[in-house]
Amino acid sequence: MLSPRVNYLLNCGGCHGLTGTSNSRLVPDLKDHVGFFLNLPEGRRYLVRLPNVAFSMTTDEALTGLLNYVVFTLGGATVPKDTKPYTVSEVSELRRRPLTEVSLARTRQAMIQTLIDQYHATSDLRLYGATDQP
Amino acid sequence: MTSPFDKMSEQLTRNLARFSSRRGFLSKLGLALLAAPAFPLLPVARTARAAEPNSVAAKTDFELHAQTTDDTKCNYWKYCGSDGVLCSCCGGGSHTCPPGAEPSPISWIGTCVNPEDGKAFVIAYRDCCGKPACAAGKSCWCDNTDREMPTYRSSLNNDIIWCFGNASATYHCSTAAMVGEAK
Repeated sequence: MLSPRVNYLLNCGGCHGLTGTSNSRLVPDLKDHVGFFLNLPEGRRYLVRLPNVAFSMTTDEALTGLLNYVVFTLGGATVPKDTKPYTVSEVSELRRRPLTEVSLARTRQAMIQTLIDQYHATSDLRLYGATDQP
Repeated sequence: MTSPFDKMSEQLTRNLARFSSRRGFLSKLGLALLAAPAFPLLPVARTARAAEPNSVAAKTDFELHAQTTDDTKCNYWKYCGSDGVLCSCCGGGSHTCPPGAEPSPISWIGTCVNPEDGKAFVIAYRDCCGKPACAAGKSCWCDNTDREMPTYRSSLNNDIIWCFGNASATYHCSTAAMVGEAK
């Protein structure tokens, strides 16, 4: 059984970067960002239901460890206090309902608006998908 | 008279034709069809293998011929998933870009087995970008495929040029950096 970090590297790290940052405009930053999504129940579900997460070539157990690594290690201080780790049964249920019925871009946009307005999330969350030059 | 731009375009087109996924896909499809009766679960087996890279399961063709001494050869152990021209032939190293080229922040990640200790290591394959394609000899052009999958798993397709995340998307050469042991 591989460690959660190695599972992250093999399944996500190429695009998201070895430590959770690569090109912020092309790939969402995870490092010191991803924890904000756990402020919202739909944000917690969103991270598992993202198609590339839901369809990843991982067992439910490995994916659960991977997600907890991403949220609690890469997310760092952005994870709300008292956030409970993902459980295997939760991940197993959510990944079987991938977000294929909505626009991923609009779903994310609406969520980060709420996170920035109401949960003091960094406006850097808007970097992903931004077309203007820095 | 041929302009330098024409030459470059021709070179790029020729390289694309040589290394494009069309050829790779057809050859892999052919191989998969041939091997299907013997290994009906090949993609699954590869997934299982990726999940346990330290297993002593049958070695890949690459692993049977891998060496640890010459990083300017395609069979150097860290290059098991390398697809492109080696930066070590172009004034760079196995994991460093030649002067004037920038490493891509986006990479392709796989595992390779070091034949000396039999351990699997996580390898990040990065393209070096921002300079015209390196004009190294044929022996420096690699098309290794360990843990690679064709387009139906685009994140595991190493025919993609990863320079799209850079300021200049011009491909120069490929590197393979060891990230750590795969365990």
